[in-house]
Amino acid sequence: MPRGKVAGRKANGLDTLWRASLDDYVNDLAWSSDGRTVAAADVAEPISILEADTGEVLKRLSGHGFGTTSLSWNTRGVLASAGQDGKVRLWDVNSGEGKELDGGSQWVEKVAFSPDGKHLVSSAAKKIRMWKRSGELLWESEDHQSTVSDVEWKPGSARDLATSAYGGVSLWKPGSPKPARKFEWQGSTLKISWSPNGKYIATGDQDSTVHYWIVSHGMDLQMFGYATKVRELAWDAHSRYLATGGAEAVTVWDCGGKGPEGSRPLSLEAHTEFVSTLSYQRRGNLLLSGGGDGLAVLWEPGRTESPLAVTTLGSAISTLTFSPDDKRAAVGSDDGSVWMMGIS
Amino acid sequence: MTEVLEGSRVPVTVLTGFLGSGKTTLLNRILTENHGKRIAVIENEFGEVGVDQELVIGADEEVFEMNNGCICCTVRGDLIRILGNLMKRRDRFDYIMIETTGMADPGPVAQTFFMDDEMRDKMQLDSVTTLVDAKHVSQHFDDSPEVTEQIAFADVILLNKVDLVEEGEVDKLEARIRSMNAAAKIYRTKDAVLELDKVLDVGGFNLDRALDIDPKFMEPEYPFEWAGVYELEAGKYEFAFEEGPDPAMKAAILPISNADSVELDLARDRTVLLFSGEEHPVEAGKSIVPSQKVYELDLGGGKSSFGVEISEAGAYALFTEHYPEEFEAELRGNGTPLSPVLEREYAPDHEHDDEVTSVGITTPGDLDVQKFNAWLGDVLQNLGQDIFRMKGVLSLAGEDTRFVFQGVHMLFDGRPDRPWREGEERTNSLIFIGRNLNREELNKGFEACLAEK
Repeated sequence: MPRGKVAGRKANGLDTLWRASLDDYVNDLAWSSDGRTVAAADVAEPISILEADTGEVLKRLSGHGFGTTSLSWNTRGVLASAGQDGKVRLWDVNSGEGKELDGGSQWVEKVAFSPDGKHLVSSAAKKIRMWKRSGELLWESEDHQSTVSDVEWKPGSARDLATSAYGGVSLWKPGSPKPARKFEWQGSTLKISWSPNGKYIATGDQDSTVHYWIVSHGMDLQMFGYATKVRELAWDAHSRYLATGGAEAVTVWDCGGKGPEGSRPLSLEAHTEFVSTLSYQRRGNLLLSGGGDGLAVLWEPGRTESPLAVTTLGSAISTLTFSPDDKRAAVGSDDGSVWMMGIS
Repeated sequence: MTEVLEGSRVPVTVLTGFLGSGKTTLLNRILTENHGKRIAVIENEFGEVGVDQELVIGADEEVFEMNNGCICCTVRGDLIRILGNLMKRRDRFDYIMIETTGMADPGPVAQTFFMDDEMRDKMQLDSVTTLVDAKHVSQHFDDSPEVTEQIAFADVILLNKVDLVEEGEVDKLEARIRSMNAAAKIYRTKDAVLELDKVLDVGGFNLDRALDIDPKFMEPEYPFEWAGVYELEAGKYEFAFEEGPDPAMKAAILPISNADSVELDLARDRTVLLFSGEEHPVEAGKSIVPSQKVYELDLGGGKSSFGVEISEAGAYALFTEHYPEEFEAELRGNGTPLSPVLEREYAPDHEHDDEVTSVGITTPGDLDVQKFNAWLGDVLQNLGQDIFRMKGVLSLAGEDTRFVFQGVHMLFDGRPDRPWREGEERTNSLIFIGRNLNREELNKGFEACLAEK
């Protein structure tokens, strides 16, 4: 496995390495853990397995009827997918064979392997389900108050999950059908993001706010002033900076020291339309943002509020994600393009 | 480059109505007709008939209230999720139909297309179309607020299954619905059959058509409740009353040139003016004559009778402040009760004290923008929960163009429209549809916003 040094220390470039064209709007991109391939899901049916170095389509998996919504690899090279057909599939990418699991509703919103790769969680309508990587159903939650909008494993944990739904955040220890804890809040949470050190949970909300919970005692803060609903959240590797979208500017909260309460966030300005996706390097300090304006912008919050690099990709960016070694980023757009960007 | 142009927004029709009112029948009709549109259907309810269409997406109603408690911020989470996914597709749909459950509140559905940026950028709410089961709806008026809300929110109302109800009943029902929502287009249908252009692309939320309302529905409330047209020979007649609820009643009798509804409407407008003038008291036993006068008949609380002297044979319109049947009142000739050749009731909400009503305001003149803003802000803040819809065309002082607006609850959308035409009277016409609206107060408040000349 390639081992990267922290990239981007002096860095200042975003180079386009290749571009691949899929059928339609790119819903999700996922790097295999060895960094050799990227799986791409679009709102049309197939899943494309792209070679990370060249962009060549190595395999087309049949995907999900009405579109694939979410992808996740485990460390053994098993790819899980969820889709609008109500199914979860576990793929052997080499053979193209998929094992079909019943997601429990008409559609499945998200799949995510646990950090140790042994378990898979899926969210569909008001429930989440946990599976063995073999596909055996282990556990199902009770109904949430409404449709589960997002689910995440606690970083580094194989046993703790957090979900967001209308009514707040629930923490789960699979085994019990009831949540272990609930952070209640009357509002519609759209996206959840657990800080890498596990201490904080942030949610992006329908009412143009960001909510922030300190997990140990459940105290919460709310960040106001966003222009639109917030679905873009990214923590830096040190759990200090929380980058948020919900506006043309990327708003970055410093959660170190005394925390963000009463502080003024960094406002990173380069996009001319709403930010649509955000991703931090896995270990480094660089943040990549994509916008409805088709720009991909590289930042180093905390060092400078000016962009390090700006690249125009043309079509509205829908998703982006750094490679395991942090040296590249895969970027998807609403016209079906997948770009590979080199971080130099 | 990714900017969404006004015209590229996909129109959305929201279909509401109780289970059994014919939503699915209408939906199937729309889908099977050859209109060349690609229509996606979102169904919240699987009705008695299946929808025959490739793309039907089932949804579970999820109403998302916001933490601030504002009902205007309440949206439908299920629709945001489903439509958000749908609008990602390259092979976009030309049209979206949303069929709600019979018990759905149309407010959050409509608000979803204003409150959520993504929805607003990509879609345009075209209309709320409500189906009403003409045979069964009456029994729901009192026990189910959903029925009246669905009627109040509607841009288009299909009075369906009229073949199962007598015409007179349908007239009454239509009048009642009209009194709740004076701005909607009402069609009478059997098996939900009507031309598709009456349902699709009607522009109910389109500012350009914000006040494409039949002007007769913008009438003020009339000061009289009833009129009858009689063909009378010259001679003496008797207007006889039994004991009734009031000790006095205003009435007027006018000659008209023809016993038809056109002439009656003309007489109606003249009589509105008469009723605002001075009334002439008449004691029981005395006579009245056809004239441009309003009489106040002294009924005395018991049986009473008045003479009516007709000097020339012809058609006459008799207007009464209250319904004659409240006093068992009759116009008699030679002791025999006469039947009017034409009758009109002017207060269709008289029989039903429906909470939901329409208040139309039509006032010539220019508005003082500051006063109007302050007033409307106040109205929306205090009555926003009770105002379901509003629409209007305004004449703002100092502006050469009309200002059009429309709204749902407290959400307000307005902009300058075309210039006032040469010779066109600058008039404000607006309508509020809501619950427990105070007509007088709204009118008074609005009048106070007129700019001083």
